[in-house]
Amino acid sequence: MLEFLRSSAVRVAVGFVVATTVATTAIFGLVYFQIKAADQRSNRVILEDEAAKSINHSVDELRYAFEVRLTHDLRRLDYAALFGADRKLMFGNIDELPAIPLDGKSHFVAASPVPGGDNRMEPAIFVAQTRPDGSIMLLGRSLLETLAFRRIVQSALATGLAPMLLLALAIGAFFARRASRRLTTIHDTIARIMKGDMHLRLPVRSQHDAIDKISRDVNLMLDEIMRLLVQIKGVSDNIAHDLRSPLAVVHAQLERGLESPDNEELRGVARQALAHIDKAMLTIAALLRLADVEYGPKSSKFHTIDLSAICADLFEFYEPLATSKSIQMALEIQSPVQILGDGDLMREAVSNLIGNAIKFTPEGGTVRVSVTQEDGKPVVRVRDNGIGVEPAERDKIFQRFYRTASGHRVPGSGLGLSIAAAIANLHDFDLRFDDNHPGAVFEMAGRRK
Amino acid sequence: MTKTAPIHPQTIVLVEDEKELANEIKIELERLGYLVRMASIAEAADAARVGDAAMMIMDRMVFGEDSLETLEVLRKQGVKVPVLMISALSSIDERVRGLKAGGDDYLSKPFAMVELAARIEALLRRLDDVRTTKLQAGDLEMDLIEQTVHRGSARIDLLPREFKLLEYFLRHPGQVITRAMLLQDVWHYHFSLETNVVDVHISNLRKKIDVRGGASLILNIRGAGFMLNADA
Repeated sequence: MLEFLRSSAVRVAVGFVVATTVATTAIFGLVYFQIKAADQRSNRVILEDEAAKSINHSVDELRYAFEVRLTHDLRRLDYAALFGADRKLMFGNIDELPAIPLDGKSHFVAASPVPGGDNRMEPAIFVAQTRPDGSIMLLGRSLLETLAFRRIVQSALATGLAPMLLLALAIGAFFARRASRRLTTIHDTIARIMKGDMHLRLPVRSQHDAIDKISRDVNLMLDEIMRLLVQIKGVSDNIAHDLRSPLAVVHAQLERGLESPDNEELRGVARQALAHIDKAMLTIAALLRLADVEYGPKSSKFHTIDLSAICADLFEFYEPLATSKSIQMALEIQSPVQILGDGDLMREAVSNLIGNAIKFTPEGGTVRVSVTQEDGKPVVRVRDNGIGVEPAERDKIFQRFYRTASGHRVPGSGLGLSIAAAIANLHDFDLRFDDNHPGAVFEMAGRRK
Repeated sequence: MTKTAPIHPQTIVLVEDEKELANEIKIELERLGYLVRMASIAEAADAARVGDAAMMIMDRMVFGEDSLETLEVLRKQGVKVPVLMISALSSIDERVRGLKAGGDDYLSKPFAMVELAARIEALLRRLDDVRTTKLQAGDLEMDLIEQTVHRGSARIDLLPREFKLLEYFLRHPGQVITRAMLLQDVWHYHFSLETNVVDVHISNLRKKIDVRGGASLILNIRGAGFMLNADA
């Protein structure tokens, strides 16, 4: 229940009720004060007017006029009296002169005895004026009617407000409960997902409100996390395998070496073991490198680099290796192709592509490197006419540790293409495979410009 | 690899908090004839200031402390001792930061001992004199101004990169040069390769500079790399 009260929906409902109350009361109050002010204004005018008119009447005329006024109530006078210069009542229906200035202006008196009364005190307006003979004339009007009007307004407000508040509360509570039920469901589902039920998804209804939208987003996020989890599992399996194999070999070799009485054999075995460990370290270094490119902060070293120059440099670097394998190399370069990027990383990516091409091309083959601008987009292509990639394997070659069936005999970490793809991605480039009939084309093309 | 200990052993100050790795480095370097002193960052800085260290090997992070800051301070104070940074941080950015702070070379873990030893030797025997105009090995002579190479009286034509490669060997006579060092210093490539491209370049260079039937000027050092054979 406490949780229910704390929910934002309830807070909104309560806020709504409070706002309604304040607004309604304000309107009622305004109306009341406006009417009251108008009423008092007219009362004051009447009183002052009467006082001014009666100032020159004789005492007898006044006595008669007061009787008529008070009994017939033509202009709604409630109080009329004449006091002597000594402030003693001469005649009239009020015993004492109220403490107001004798200036012919109306004044508010908070409590004065009700005429003919039972000692009740009520607010009233009085006008007092000194007459030429020194006597003091007092006229007054009770504000009882205004009070009665106020009471009517108050009771109207009370009877009108109560059902309205109940209605607002009911509506607010209804929405709050509904929202909180949905939130509870979402909360419970998330709790179960966190406990490991990764296949669960948040409920999404056909309404397109904010909660549905967020639920849909969370579901998409969960899908992505699932995908990554599966991928990570595959990757860690591969890492374990790729590191366990050389370690197992090293283990066996060292065991054999230790059992051998021949010192020279031990040395040979140790050397082989070292080579295997070097291979494992190369794999680890490549993995760290990949993580670095993929998840590290975007390199701070991005500036204008020339892809043509980078490729020409790598071409020169790799050509002797190709020649030693009787592979021809060709370079097609247009004018400088400038991009914004990290030269070291781009060099590494293209190096992986050219190195791969030479690795998988048999003697007598050709490896072509080209750098062009196509539709304003920079494109680097490395084509070979080597063994190519089987159609079934084409979407797997960019995965970590994937090695084609035919490539298994060739040494390498199986991470080169993953690293190249990650570097391309970092530069807003796409790395794609194409068939070269025969052989492979690896195309690294800018996405926009 | 065999090596005779120098008559006046040089002191290397080692700042590394991974005990086993530190021990292995110490044993290997002592085997190569160096004196090794393990130190904290502060102790190493003191040793460097009073000139007690021929060079320093510093891990980037030691007991959670970044040694780069200390190195920067040392460099500002004019301390010139060669410093080799070793680090588990392998990104190019980290390498650049290490060199900017005053490191002379940067090795990412994991590394092979031969690689470490070769880098140390290169730093200790670094020729500060860059004004040299002629380099020599046996009867091979390189003129850096004319950009020419002669073996005896015969002129040898080299491609620009082959010239740089040979120059690097001539500047590091009798030192073990690893493939990674060549990639880094001759080609300025800061990544590892899975192919033996460097070996092919070396063998092409040998074909041009070696005399038929004679010993090769550039020796293969098994499991490590290459070495200029100054006696050839």
